[in-house]
Amino acid sequence: MAEDLVLDTAIRDWVLIPLSVVMVLIGILRYFVSKLMRSSPAPDAKMAKEGQVIIRARNLKAGANFIPPKSFRARRFYFSNEENGLLYVPKGQATNPQAQMFSDPNMAMDMMKKNLSMIIPQTLTFAWVNFFFSGFVAAKIPFPLTQRFRSMLQNGIDLSTVDVSYVSSRSWYFLNLFGLRGLFSLILGDENAIDDTQRMMQMGGLGFDPSKSLSAEKDGLDIIQHEWALPRFEQRAESVLRKLVK
Amino acid sequence: MVTKTEETQLKQLENQVDNGGGGAWEYLCLVRKLKIRRSEKVLKHGSSILNDPGKRSALGPDEWTLNEQVAIAAMDCQCLDVAQNCIKALQKKFPESKRVGKLEALLLEAKGLWGEAEEAYSSLLEDNPLDQAIHKRRVAITKALGKPSLAIELLSKYLELFMADHDAWRELAEIYLSLQMYKQAAFCYEELILSQPTVPLYHLAYADVLYTIGGLENVISARKYYAATIDLTGGKNTRALLGICLCASAIAQLSKGRNKEDRDATAAAPELHSLAAAAIEKEYKQKAPAKLQLISSALRSLKL
Repeated sequence: MAEDLVLDTAIRDWVLIPLSVVMVLIGILRYFVSKLMRSSPAPDAKMAKEGQVIIRARNLKAGANFIPPKSFRARRFYFSNEENGLLYVPKGQATNPQAQMFSDPNMAMDMMKKNLSMIIPQTLTFAWVNFFFSGFVAAKIPFPLTQRFRSMLQNGIDLSTVDVSYVSSRSWYFLNLFGLRGLFSLILGDENAIDDTQRMMQMGGLGFDPSKSLSAEKDGLDIIQHEWALPRFEQRAESVLRKLVK
Repeated sequence: MVTKTEETQLKQLENQVDNGGGGAWEYLCLVRKLKIRRSEKVLKHGSSILNDPGKRSALGPDEWTLNEQVAIAAMDCQCLDVAQNCIKALQKKFPESKRVGKLEALLLEAKGLWGEAEEAYSSLLEDNPLDQAIHKRRVAITKALGKPSLAIELLSKYLELFMADHDAWRELAEIYLSLQMYKQAAFCYEELILSQPTVPLYHLAYADVLYTIGGLENVISARKYYAATIDLTGGKNTRALLGICLCASAIAQLSKGRNKEDRDATAAAPELHSLAAAAIEKEYKQKAPAKLQLISSALRSLKL
């Protein structure tokens, strides 16, 4: 029976193609709207300093053997002493990003803007697709698929007898939503803002905590055994010169 | 960093442009990308593009980038009226821009109006307190005014925040050296060695500072850092070779009458200084045979 299912060409002309075109247009529109709303993030002195401290501590760790032992010990104390060391984060004072978000309205505002530019058009288009095209079989993919793909491809059609290779209009919408990213990066340049999947991941990974990397650096610095590399250089210089003089 | 291929490309383009072979815009782009200082050439070729309406409009939006580049080059060459024109054009196009504001402040600085430049920078800093370039310009102003202690103060404040900026550390080291504050300079050079352990010049400068501070322990360390410089340059650095000889003589003098442990400081590489002296003589023989006599007698007077 599934083989007999013939799709009207009008469906192609009035559902499949318009849906894709609308999705592309909305994507472009969203790009420009989010570009308008994007405020350049005001750099935070504390964040900048923490980043720089980490770089310097890493340099110290990597190059420790190139400076005299006394200088190294002084620096290590400077970084990791328990009173006012740069890498020492007192317990309980570690900033909680959630709390930070509440204290900084700008951050919440930014998040909201991002979410607005993401969620509103999505809900609207979803409602639009649902209203006009619910229950359509919009396309057929040219290869057979297993039953597991039914929920992916036939969202909105509750018929278990239809062959899985038919795609419902609502599923076509979802496929477009997630599949057009490559096209957007072609049209709008590589750094286009519409990267839904990435954005969702970002929301999940909000719990990044800079104080953790600070204390990780501190631990790394604490366990370093300082072994001055310079005495070895004298011998190496000697052999270099011996070769040169010969 | 400029790689070898980029350097040859640059030279090729430079030749081509200088001989009227075209490609001026490509040359300017490359100069900008590599961040190198070719102010006179940039000024010459850049303004020839800017003064030609056809070529200028062919650039499209890049015209403004070129204006900025030429303005900075012109200020470097003290062609202030050219710079003024470029900045005026930019100002017309971007009336509220901070970037143009920076250029204007730079122009004030080039004219020698220190006070006004300082004011302009401070007002720019109010909007963006984390702008590294502006902080550095302010240090440059204090240096130009001949107030190194103020420059040190500003630089230290800057480094408290941007402590991974090795160029700033280097500047600070040089200012300290000019004030003969060697211990502080040594600290800065240690910081530079940490951030780029394979640059021989930092090892050399650190060794110089240690030797200048003096004292047996420091001179022994200085010898080690001269040795590191020799190792990193393959023995091509004459200053390091001479440093080794001077250190050897200083160590011999300072450790007179000390106990044996101290005197064994050079035991790891006992032939280093004689080898260094030989290397110096060989180099003089090759490059300046007329002065070989001088250097030989100087080395002999060190009693190696």
